[in-house]
Amino acid sequence: MKYLERRVIHGILLLIGVSVLCFLFSDLAPGSFFDEMKLNPQISSETVAALRSQYGLDKPLPVRYARWVESVLGGEWGYSFAYNSSVRSLLVVRARNTLLLTTLATLFSWLVAVPLGVWISNHPGKWYDRLSMGGTSLLLSVPELVLVFGLLYFAIRTHALPVGGMTSVGFDQLGLWGKTIDLVTHLIVPVTTLVLASLPVLVRHVRASMVEVLKLPFIQAARGHGIGPARLLFRYALPAAGNPLISLFGLSVAGLLSGSLLVEVITGWPGIGPLLLEASMSRDLYVVVGAVMSSTLFMVFGSLLADVMLVVVDPRIRVE
Amino acid sequence: MNGYNLAQPERSAHGIYMQRLGCLATLFLACALSCLASSDPQPLQRGEELQTTDNEVGRYGGNLVVAQRSEPKTLNPVTAADAPSREVIGRLMADLIHINRASQQTEPALVKSWSMSKDGRVFTVKLRHGVRFSDGQPFDADDVVFSFQVYLDEKVHSPQRDLLVAGGKPVEVQKIDQYTVRFTLAQPYAAAERIFDSLAMMPRHLLEKSYAEGKFAQAWTLNTSPAEVAGLGPFRMKEYVAGQRIVLERNPYYWKADRNKNRLPYLDELIFLFVGNEDAQVLRFQAGDTDVISRVSAENYALLSKEAPSRGFELFDLGPSLEYNFLVFNLNDLKSRNLDKIANKQAWFEDLKFRQAVSSAIDRDDIVKLVYAGRGVPLWGNVSPSNKFWVDQALPHPSRSLEGARKQLKAAGFSWRGDGQLMDHQGQPVEFSIIASSSNAQRMKMATIIQDDLSKLGMNVHVVPLEFRALLDRVFQTYDYEASIMALGGGDADPNPELNVWLSSGGTHLWHLGEPKPATDWEAQIDQLMQKQMVELKYSRRKHLYDQVQELIGQNLPCVFLATPNILVGAKKNVANFRPAILEPNTLWNVEQLYFRQAGASGSGAAR
Amino acid sequence: MASKRKIVAAVMFLLSLHLAILLAGFVAPYDPAAQNRDFPFAPPTRVRFVDAAGHLHARPFIYQCVARPDGIYEYEESRELRYPVHLFVVGPEYKLVGLWPSRVHLFGVEAPAQIFLAGTDNYGRDQFSRILYGGQISVAAGLLATGTSLLLGLLIGCVSGFYGKWLDESAMRLAELFLVLPWLYLLLAVRAFLPLHISPTQTFLLLVVVIGTIGWARPARLIRGIVLGAKNRKYVTASRSFGASDYYILRRHVLPHTYGILLTQAALLVPQYVIAEVTLSFFGLGLSEPMPSWGNLLANLQQYNVLVSYWWMFLPALALVLVSFGYLNVANAFHERLQSGST
Repeated sequence: MKYLERRVIHGILLLIGVSVLCFLFSDLAPGSFFDEMKLNPQISSETVAALRSQYGLDKPLPVRYARWVESVLGGEWGYSFAYNSSVRSLLVVRARNTLLLTTLATLFSWLVAVPLGVWISNHPGKWYDRLSMGGTSLLLSVPELVLVFGLLYFAIRTHALPVGGMTSVGFDQLGLWGKTIDLVTHLIVPVTTLVLASLPVLVRHVRASMVEVLKLPFIQAARGHGIGPARLLFRYALPAAGNPLISLFGLSVAGLLSGSLLVEVITGWPGIGPLLLEASMSRDLYVVVGAVMSSTLFMVFGSLLADVMLVVVDPRIRVE
Repeated sequence: MNGYNLAQPERSAHGIYMQRLGCLATLFLACALSCLASSDPQPLQRGEELQTTDNEVGRYGGNLVVAQRSEPKTLNPVTAADAPSREVIGRLMADLIHINRASQQTEPALVKSWSMSKDGRVFTVKLRHGVRFSDGQPFDADDVVFSFQVYLDEKVHSPQRDLLVAGGKPVEVQKIDQYTVRFTLAQPYAAAERIFDSLAMMPRHLLEKSYAEGKFAQAWTLNTSPAEVAGLGPFRMKEYVAGQRIVLERNPYYWKADRNKNRLPYLDELIFLFVGNEDAQVLRFQAGDTDVISRVSAENYALLSKEAPSRGFELFDLGPSLEYNFLVFNLNDLKSRNLDKIANKQAWFEDLKFRQAVSSAIDRDDIVKLVYAGRGVPLWGNVSPSNKFWVDQALPHPSRSLEGARKQLKAAGFSWRGDGQLMDHQGQPVEFSIIASSSNAQRMKMATIIQDDLSKLGMNVHVVPLEFRALLDRVFQTYDYEASIMALGGGDADPNPELNVWLSSGGTHLWHLGEPKPATDWEAQIDQLMQKQMVELKYSRRKHLYDQVQELIGQNLPCVFLATPNILVGAKKNVANFRPAILEPNTLWNVEQLYFRQAGASGSGAAR
Repeated sequence: MASKRKIVAAVMFLLSLHLAILLAGFVAPYDPAAQNRDFPFAPPTRVRFVDAAGHLHARPFIYQCVARPDGIYEYEESRELRYPVHLFVVGPEYKLVGLWPSRVHLFGVEAPAQIFLAGTDNYGRDQFSRILYGGQISVAAGLLATGTSLLLGLLIGCVSGFYGKWLDESAMRLAELFLVLPWLYLLLAVRAFLPLHISPTQTFLLLVVVIGTIGWARPARLIRGIVLGAKNRKYVTASRSFGASDYYILRRHVLPHTYGILLTQAALLVPQYVIAEVTLSFFGLGLSEPMPSWGNLLANLQQYNVLVSYWWMFLPALALVLVSFGYLNVANAFHERLQSGST
């Protein structure tokens, strides 16, 4: 229990640190939200200056930070210049959409990667091992964006899948079954992209850790005892190969909110990604801080989860 | 999923809305046959002064879907600064006097007529009788006075306020009677009626409270209940799904009708999807998810046109836009700014012969070919050839000449080193960087082409991509740049919106911002000419003055003009009355007239 | 013995790739920045042995590429004249390895024909030449950045996992901090403080420093997990009781367990880091035009119309696959040898 308490306090400290650094960085980054108006010949520079001061952008950094903290404590999480509304109201809806997408993607990638990695690790050098390694190399060398475009192009050519968005226009009028079908078909392209993008990393790690373990004497011994390959691989070898995989799983969980930015933007998935990207580019400062803070929360949670799992799976660590 | 619409619980509290929701379910199943929903066009009323349109008579029904590159931010016509918000608000709201996007001329909108006093200072407008907001409440002079009060209130900081200030004083607005309003300007203002365009008339009964409380900026966000948002545009708010779409439905009280006395608009719903970027927009159009697409890039146009016949859509090349892309050198006063390196290079930039050499070395035809895939035109001035009323036909279009450029440079005291590098008269190699927005592929390409062109003169040019705000910060704030590729224009055909670009005191006088007094003779001349044309009421005389301005700009090259892209749009073949225009909004400006041809009739499309 | 042959093969393959990149000026037929504005997006030139009349020729030849009069960026071969491919031809001047000026190129064809083995880009620049030149900075920067972040990750991960306590806590929180910070904003800030024009050498250093420092957190966490497990093994405890120093234990008993993960990470990071230059370019921190790099060559693919219309724009990705695959093979082979040697 004490351990947990300590971790929570550290998590809070981390959040504070991240928020301070966010403000510092944003202060260093050139330009402000209202700058684009300067390009409009019909808006005077005085108006732009007045708007800046109305939103407190001319105040010194500590003052802005204090105001923001106040607003976080008040449950608003800051104020968006663009939307003229609280950041929380913007983030909550979108975070839910992002989580729907990324949890599914993470789940599928692990479900594919672990069996595949274990299988090919048992036969290193076989043609399917080489094929998987070549395939993962190729996937790694192709930017994520190209993957999305490729899948969308496929969707257009085959008319089989929607080419973007999360729901169809008449979604609200559909029944429960119709809604599910609609949502699932919209999920296929972004989820597949995310799975394809994270698969190489996972497969390679699973394979590498398994190869190490399979050389160990106790596996040889188990083999000698005539234990079947499936049982040997999954029951004996996999847990022994667990440590790096657990750390990796923690990182997967930590990236749930932030990992799908590009894919969301291209497929029009209404998550945090498009909001964060636009807010960064337009210097809608508090939206950026809010989004970063929420992904920090996931980071804290993810690493905590990994550490706890390490302790559970590997009794040797429990000694401390 | 209902929960996505934050306004939903409030809506269902109203009995009326429950009823409508029920209807909508059937509406969705048979959207072409929608005669049930409560947003059906209201019967014409006695004494209602409708505007009659001259379009082909259409039929009711159908949803038009459009994709936007980013999400609209607000429904508040005063605070909206981004293009997607303005595009949506433009369909929800109406103005007193409107610029017809096809003819580029003003025409009565919410006013049935207007008159101007002889001295050009007093405007009297007569409002249409019987006009109602989309919630059924009447519209009259009080709403006009209220709207202008908001726009002019300094505490609101509306960007539109600057438009309404002539000769240092804001417009005076006075209600004469329920349907008459008088506007008094401090000085005569050419084409004053154009400033009314796109100034949304707002409902006093809905907004007065938040205005009085000083919370106008927070009014009408996307999460405001649709029942509390009403305007005079062809559509009204129906539903907002965060991050996904905005659904507008027909304003049943809209004040326009076709010649058969059918109240417009024909469409049941207008749906804006938010898709993220241009490529996604193209994908959705290609897949048939959207009915209309605006401002496609030339490459995507080529891509789409290969599929146009098989996928049942049509593409239109409307000719050059009003936007002008240009290369601008930093001629700002850099004293006390600690930018000595740039200040030293300004000796070149300030030399007219240097700028002329740059201009004549740039291959504008290649820019059009490689950047716009041939769908654009080269420019030598700030007025696009498609701006028929204002372009100076006499402006020379010197062709590219490296020889001529070398001669100019030689005459200006430059020389060439053994390896071909250009040197100035102090023996410094000519080397500078051009900044361009990294998110704008077109301008990045222009920079790369210019770099290659200028390398033939022995200039060592670096292309520096910068994120857009970072670029703006350098151009407007720190002046820490040497040359930049930018674009302006595109809003209106009239010269007045350009005032702040060419006046030496203007906030968009990019090459030299904040001049206390004109830095050069020709800038002083331009100042005078622009001021004169601003108060000149007669078109022919204004045109003459503006021609002189264009010539002065062309001779002195504060900006090296490059090219303008054609406006490229597309629509499904069964969208009728589709009349895209080069003025924004290019495709939806007459959305009230758009309708869907019967399924069988589509594909003919011979009318266009 | 087999593993030795494997190593030799893998090393030879990798060496030849690097030699081609290093001697880009000689191998590439054209100047990577030279624009052929009449040939934007020309497809790869087909090298032929059989001519239009059906005759077989011993010396490979090409047909000249001409723009089709009706299309935009569409081309066809003009079958009238054959242009044989010659070896060691004289072409545009370049500096071999950046030092010796020369005009001799490995292969080429006579003007006016041009040979574009990997097609051309938007400005009609020969992509084959650009891939070769682009590799010079990308490969080196990708490798060095990977090395930097792995070294940092190894150091921090080991210390963190081995010593535990507050060291572990603070190192891991620092890693989390590095994983979540809004780097985009920092990049903007960095850009604002740098001079407008960044030379290729500076870009190279930037790539290595920025990517290397941002990227250490992931490997550090992974390595820590392994160290945590390894340090409590029986033989470690045993060797400690024999009085072995921390350094000895780390080197002898703990580090070997991390080799696998280091290799895997390296294989994953090299291509990722080469691609990361695309992002840096967006902020004006990458290699700027007209200099090629694999990052900005791949950036072309990010436009939908390019992706679906001009397949040869994928070829830079293929080059990246080859190089990273090459490195992976060498690393694997060495790893295997090392392990078989140790047991």
